[in-house]
Amino acid sequence: MGTSILLVNKPVDVLQKKMELQAVLMAAGGGSRMMDLTYNTRKPLLPVGNKPLIWYPINLLERVGFEEVIVITTKEVQKMISTDPKMKLDVKMKLDIVCIQEDAHMGTADALRHIQQKIKTDILVVSCDLITDAALHEVVDLFRAHNATLSMLMSKAHEFTETVPGQKGKKKTGEQRDFVGVDGTGKRLLFMANEADLDKGLVIRKSNMRKHPRMHIKTGLVDAHLYCLKKSVVDFLADNRSVSSIRGELVPYIVRKQFSKSMTSPNVNDEADQKLKKKDGNANVEIKILSRDEALLQLTRERSCWNDHRGDMSEAYHGGRLRCYVHIMDEGMCYRVNMLAAYIEANRLAPKLFDEPAVHPSAAISVRCLIGADSIIGASCQISDKASIKRSMIGASTTVREKVKVTNSIIMHGVTIEEGCNIQGSVICSNTVIGRGADIKYCLVGSAQRIEPEGEHTTAYYCLTLPSHTQVPLTSTLSGNSRVAKIQ
Amino acid sequence: MSSRGGKQKKGNVTSEQEEEEQPLQAVLVADSFNRRFFPISKDQPRALLPLGNVAMIDYTLEFLTSTGVQETFVFCCWMSNKIKDHLLKSKWCRPTSPNVVHIITSDLYRSLGDVLRDVDAKNLVRNDFILVYGDVVSNIDVSQALQEHRHRRKVDKNISVMTMVFKESSPGHKSRCEEDDVIVAMDSKSKRFSMGTDEFEIRHDLLDCHISICSPQVAELFTDNFDYQTRNDFVRGILVNEEILGNQIHLYVTQDGYGARVSNLQMYDSVSSDMVRRWVYPLTPEANFTDQQGQGCTHSRHNVYRGAEVSLGHGSQMEENVLIGRDTSIGANCHISNSVIGNNCTIGDNVVLDRAHMWNNVHISSNVEIHQSVVCDGAVVKEAVRLNKQCVLAYNVVIGPNLSLPEGTVVSMHHPEEEEEDDDDEFLSDDQEVGHSKDKTRQKAFNPAEVGPEGKGYIWKASMNDTEDEELAQCLWGLVLNPDPESDSESEASEESQDRTFQLEVLGTLQRGLEENIVCDNLVLEINSLKYAYNITLKEVMQILTRVVLEYPFQQQGTQLTTLQYTGSLLPLLKTWSPVFKNYIKRAQDHLDCLSAVEELFLEQDTHQTAMVKVLMKMYQLEILEEEAILKWFSTGATNDKSRQLRKNQGLQKFIQWLKEAEDESSEEGE
Repeated sequence: MGTSILLVNKPVDVLQKKMELQAVLMAAGGGSRMMDLTYNTRKPLLPVGNKPLIWYPINLLERVGFEEVIVITTKEVQKMISTDPKMKLDVKMKLDIVCIQEDAHMGTADALRHIQQKIKTDILVVSCDLITDAALHEVVDLFRAHNATLSMLMSKAHEFTETVPGQKGKKKTGEQRDFVGVDGTGKRLLFMANEADLDKGLVIRKSNMRKHPRMHIKTGLVDAHLYCLKKSVVDFLADNRSVSSIRGELVPYIVRKQFSKSMTSPNVNDEADQKLKKKDGNANVEIKILSRDEALLQLTRERSCWNDHRGDMSEAYHGGRLRCYVHIMDEGMCYRVNMLAAYIEANRLAPKLFDEPAVHPSAAISVRCLIGADSIIGASCQISDKASIKRSMIGASTTVREKVKVTNSIIMHGVTIEEGCNIQGSVICSNTVIGRGADIKYCLVGSAQRIEPEGEHTTAYYCLTLPSHTQVPLTSTLSGNSRVAKIQ
Repeated sequence: MSSRGGKQKKGNVTSEQEEEEQPLQAVLVADSFNRRFFPISKDQPRALLPLGNVAMIDYTLEFLTSTGVQETFVFCCWMSNKIKDHLLKSKWCRPTSPNVVHIITSDLYRSLGDVLRDVDAKNLVRNDFILVYGDVVSNIDVSQALQEHRHRRKVDKNISVMTMVFKESSPGHKSRCEEDDVIVAMDSKSKRFSMGTDEFEIRHDLLDCHISICSPQVAELFTDNFDYQTRNDFVRGILVNEEILGNQIHLYVTQDGYGARVSNLQMYDSVSSDMVRRWVYPLTPEANFTDQQGQGCTHSRHNVYRGAEVSLGHGSQMEENVLIGRDTSIGANCHISNSVIGNNCTIGDNVVLDRAHMWNNVHISSNVEIHQSVVCDGAVVKEAVRLNKQCVLAYNVVIGPNLSLPEGTVVSMHHPEEEEEDDDDEFLSDDQEVGHSKDKTRQKAFNPAEVGPEGKGYIWKASMNDTEDEELAQCLWGLVLNPDPESDSESEASEESQDRTFQLEVLGTLQRGLEENIVCDNLVLEINSLKYAYNITLKEVMQILTRVVLEYPFQQQGTQLTTLQYTGSLLPLLKTWSPVFKNYIKRAQDHLDCLSAVEELFLEQDTHQTAMVKVLMKMYQLEILEEEAILKWFSTGATNDKSRQLRKNQGLQKFIQWLKEAEDESSEEGE
């Protein structure tokens, strides 16, 4: 099985041949969980391995053969995408960019509703912060094989090993666990609940247990936010305006609906449909989400002895017409860059995804400097003598002067690092100037800052404006007798 | 254990060897500690009831012996003498028996907990032992489970205290007991009961065989926790205290083998039929594993078994899955299927038996029909009697002639009231007392309507007063649960029911208000508090209120009211409650909502549509509704054919006309 998922008869002409899946890329999120990074650079444009974050999902889609993608994003990002030379260079596929207002507080489901007109087939929704080497066809195959309403990708949660700037010691991620229930094959998604919603413990309905007597409950999974959805789901969204988030509301709703009565009644004929419609508008909406199996498929299923379960005599899928599947990655990488820790981890691993020279050809690198094999140097960089760069990423147009040591750090674009600096385990955002001889350890430096020379900084945040939720107070822990850095 | 700790390394090895050599022990509890089989078990303890013409305890003992148990302690309480007699006569007490059976009786056992505490007190077990009930039928090879259990105990020092044996069987399987419908959360890798880890499995496809491999600590734990009554208490206690005490319970899941506990008659029926269908091989009827004289029978195709000296009349058919005991004679033209017939029975002509369980010395006359019923020893069924499903004829009952017993009838020689008399000593097996009460009941006459003209026996009614032990029902046949109602208890459904209860509450409030003459302000207060209690929106409150008020006459006087009567009783009500309405109907939208509620109701009650205009008129006069709202509703509110039809009502048209004119006038006046 190669990486190409679209069949051999790839749609040459969209109009002539029906596309199977339309790709939708959600790139309007603000990155609210890592405000320090996204204050100046929108999340989709954050550099990861010297490529904007949004490049990764686009590349993922491109790799498997998509030729067009609908990108939902904000005006600002659109402008950046059209001007960013990197994006233009690498992306062959057609980007159909739809802008939404930034301050409209639109959820992902709202965004889908927004582009309902454009959606003609089933869709594949990807979030812009996904970096993965997953075999996408696994997810799509589940979707196809079971004529599923929803199929999604999950992965085992990763432990972030790197020390996160601005955090002392290991901080427990405050996230609540998700409980995910799958059947014996590990594919069918039966149950989904968040720890926050479980006040009295896990509640699983017995009718559900009856149909699927063995349920594996897994915790410690991350949702990759990659979903295959039937077109009917988008139509459902259009009618049901209260749903605003895919992950928060829509997916749990569909998973739950798999086992509710109206969905499983074996053959709701049109008459019953009509009745339901009359009864109330709500049922009408519900019905829409059902993907009625095509007649031929129905017939095949009746005639074949295939069944998805054993143990009782009922028909395949217990007559349910709403089915959710999940592909859980056992190995490989799957990151959602939505937190600082994930961002750093992704930076460390992302370069392995593509084989490009670690040092950009246009970078001017002194012969007498040391650059580790696990580092990336961006375009038009200047690296002077005796600089040492290990396990780090240096963004484009960055100047690194003599005797600078950079270890385990992320330096974004246009940064100037003066002589003799020592930077370790830190993130330095764009256009910052680091004064001569500064010693920066485990710090996060916001964009366009000026760090005074000779300062010594450990575990601190330096930002233009302090995000309201930051736990670590500004310049709180400057170690030793150092001078307090001046924050502009 | 403590002595072993002190020993040197060498001594340790020898003691382990000793352990290996120690005989495997079992604790068999030959009492159910409940009354599920009353009135049958009034005369015979459950462990001795015949299943496939063999007492149930024999199956259990055979199972234990075949797994290599060498020493079994049988604990009896209820009717211990009978069990003792039975065992002394059986092969288990012969000197050649590989399994030494010790019978321990006491009248003081009231639960499994008592038994195990006694085990601990008497220091009977020295090593891991098998704990099983006297009504378990099984052929599972537990040696594998035993091995796993021992291994676990060796590896992590006595942490695992119990291994429960489960059999895989999907939900809805016949041999699953409806009342014992377990859902288990387990760690799939370590086979441990748990919920805590990152990944666990919830299984509904397991059948609890009621066979457990216990460490000696189990008995000690029962002593330490004197409130443990049943094994469930124990399991729960261990799981709750797992983190503190560090004890764990493991499962052993087997795919093949048979194991079930006969906990009610439903289970008796299914286990018996499984037995005849040879699912419990090698424990089959013809095997005569109890090694009793004359118990042997032959097995022919369609699973028909015949004992010695069975005579079958001309034209009688034994269709399939039939077991007939020795010296039984069957008349002509009988039709028998899926049934077990005991020894020394006589069956007349033209008898139909289907899923019948007949024990020994039963007499069935001609033209009798029996479906899925149990007929105990010595019972007599006279001519042309029909036993419908799930009937039970207890010992020595006589039924008929010419009678049809309705489904689920239980007939016994014991009068139901006598049970209450000896309620206090329910577990005391005092034969004298039983005999005594028999004398008493004899004075009460049999009811021929219940048991037929020549019948002897009383209809038994399960007493419902012992709810203390949280038994769901004391019914013999067990709960007959409707196949999963598949309740759509999604939020919408529950919301709907909330609305419904809210509606009922509002109705109650108004009713009380009328009866007790409560001021409307207070009614509003009450409805408001209900609104918060049920979390209902203001709009819904108003709609429900309107509905309740308009339906009130129907509610009080039935739905057969004429339109005239309806309006007659409604209009005064509207007047009384107008302040309540006014409280809720304030904004323009409220008016429209109220009107649509009125409309909805009259669309349902289409015979009373003429009353609608009167209601609207009254509400207008009472200034509940404003004319603008009514006009607006009339002109725009029509959404479908029916409501359009409604608006064509002549009275309504006139009313609207009148309203319009009035408006014109008033506006003219205004000028």
